Amino acid sequence: MQNWLKGASIALASVAITLAVSRAVQDPAAGQTPDVIVLRTADGKPDLSGIWQALGTAHWNLQDHQARTGPVLELGATFAVPAGLGVVEGNEIPYQPWAAAKQKENYDNWLTRDPEVKCYLPGLPRATYMPYPFQILQTGSNDILVAYEYASASRVIKMGKAEPPPVDTWMGQSVGRWEGDTLIVDVTGFNDQTWFDRAGNFHSEALHLVERFTPAGPDRLDYQATIEDPKVFTRPWTMQVPLYRRHDAHVQLLEFKCVEFVEELMYGHLRKKTGDEKPFGTARLRWP
Amino acid sequence: MRTRRLVSLALVVTIIVLARVVFSGQSPNAGADTNEPAKNWTAPRTPDGQPDLQGMWTNYTATPFEVFDESDTPGLYVGDPDGSARGTGPGFLNDTSDRTLTKGRSLVVDPPTGRVPIMSWAEQRRTFKLTHIQDHWENHTAWERCITRGVPGGLFPAGYGSGYQILQGPGYVSIVYEMIHEARLIPLDGRPHIGKSIRTWNGDSRGRWEGNTLVVDITNYNDKGSIATNAATQRVRAIPQSEDLHVVERFTRVDENTINYEATIEDPKVFTAPWTVAIPLHREPDYQIFEYACHEGNLGLPNTLSAGRARDKAGPSPGTR
Repeated sequence: MQNWLKGASIALASVAITLAVSRAVQDPAAGQTPDVIVLRTADGKPDLSGIWQALGTAHWNLQDHQARTGPVLELGATFAVPAGLGVVEGNEIPYQPWAAAKQKENYDNWLTRDPEVKCYLPGLPRATYMPYPFQILQTGSNDILVAYEYASASRVIKMGKAEPPPVDTWMGQSVGRWEGDTLIVDVTGFNDQTWFDRAGNFHSEALHLVERFTPAGPDRLDYQATIEDPKVFTRPWTMQVPLYRRHDAHVQLLEFKCVEFVEELMYGHLRKKTGDEKPFGTARLRWP
Repeated sequence: MRTRRLVSLALVVTIIVLARVVFSGQSPNAGADTNEPAKNWTAPRTPDGQPDLQGMWTNYTATPFEVFDESDTPGLYVGDPDGSARGTGPGFLNDTSDRTLTKGRSLVVDPPTGRVPIMSWAEQRRTFKLTHIQDHWENHTAWERCITRGVPGGLFPAGYGSGYQILQGPGYVSIVYEMIHEARLIPLDGRPHIGKSIRTWNGDSRGRWEGNTLVVDITNYNDKGSIATNAATQRVRAIPQSEDLHVVERFTRVDENTINYEATIEDPKVFTAPWTVAIPLHREPDYQIFEYACHEGNLGLPNTLSAGRARDKAGPSPGTR
């Protein structure tokens, strides 16, 4: 009975959040996991609309990593790095030898090299598992909007066919299709400026990303990303990151326009000195 | 059995929700707005019953933002030194060659003078900032800093990069702005604004349908942005906004190819009266939005500052721009 109530309240909350779902629950079709409840849109597609977020520490490092002191001595435990189990299948990222060396160099020079430190657009798949929520909106035009809280990044997943991307971009060009209950997004047209995590894992402009969003219940999406980049890796590799629906009261994407937070870092040396500047503290860097 | 009971429960909730959406779409306030759709045209609906605004839109125009006044300082109008082309049309910037642009009196439709009732302290503040852009990034508009063109400023003419993709799903209208890659999600479920202590560059948007008009109420602004950021907004560019700024936007699709957009701006610390801007959005299905990775390639800002520091080293010279 208690389980029933719990299930019912989850279903209710989900319906309230996504509004107007015509067939909220369906009998599972043949071959599907019988216990998976999939919210559906009016046309019967899985309804992925809502606010989602990854838990875990993939944003720190896609691979197994132990807990580690934070980079700024004075921040003590508050900005230390938590341990995490890797999200890469087999835990190995198959770098070519030169690329493995570069990744290590990136790791050792994290603060000066990571584009996230400068509030640059996050690229993909990184935007998906950063420690910020993002919102999926499935629309009446079929296209799917994904808006990320981090840096006001966004992308429109064009459903169906698309011309090849005309230029390289930070967020790439996303083209989607449904395969059963899985949304498959093929992303190309990247530049070589974005990283995968804060551990210096990187790619080239030849990156070809295939994402799979599969509902694993009304409140969980299984996210799988397959990375293909023959300039950097010896073979394609795959990561798996579960995404969870945010159920906080009145949850909405808020503003995280971080450009404002990096101007002093990036342009401070160019500011006209007036003599009234409040001096910075004496924080000490432990690493990198 | 468990699944069956969930089905019925969810269906009941869904029917209630659907009924509410449909009902609000036929709200008796329908006649309240002046933007009646064209007589021989039926406004399309989205699958969930909203008036359909979806598609690719642009807002290129040759209409000047304000009515010109002899007292205006031409030097503040970057790209428009001689006053001959005060809109964003031909002669202003070059992204309009294949468009037929209409030219009206002014985009400011209220007050009837076509002039924004700016308090003098705010004009002084703007002039100070615009003449000291070499000193500090905070003297630049939020657009030059690659933060935002603001709300409603993001829908004011810019001269280029003026694509807007509107997407709608149950409970939301979303506007994807080409300039600075913003995706604005406007909830329609009647929830209250976020708490007063959360101040934002773009404000907190709450939408509702009044007949065929999407009405958006925006509050919770910070006092760091400006109401307009681009030269096409002439004298109003870089006019500051306060935390008391309150904006009401109205989007009405009046025919297949046109959305009438109106924004009424109220900021008692900056303007002596509310004022209204009206800009048509034109449907351009073939328009392609390119990624506007602004901050990532922002050389203008550091170059402006470093030019200032070079000038400091060289010693005093006439003028600060």
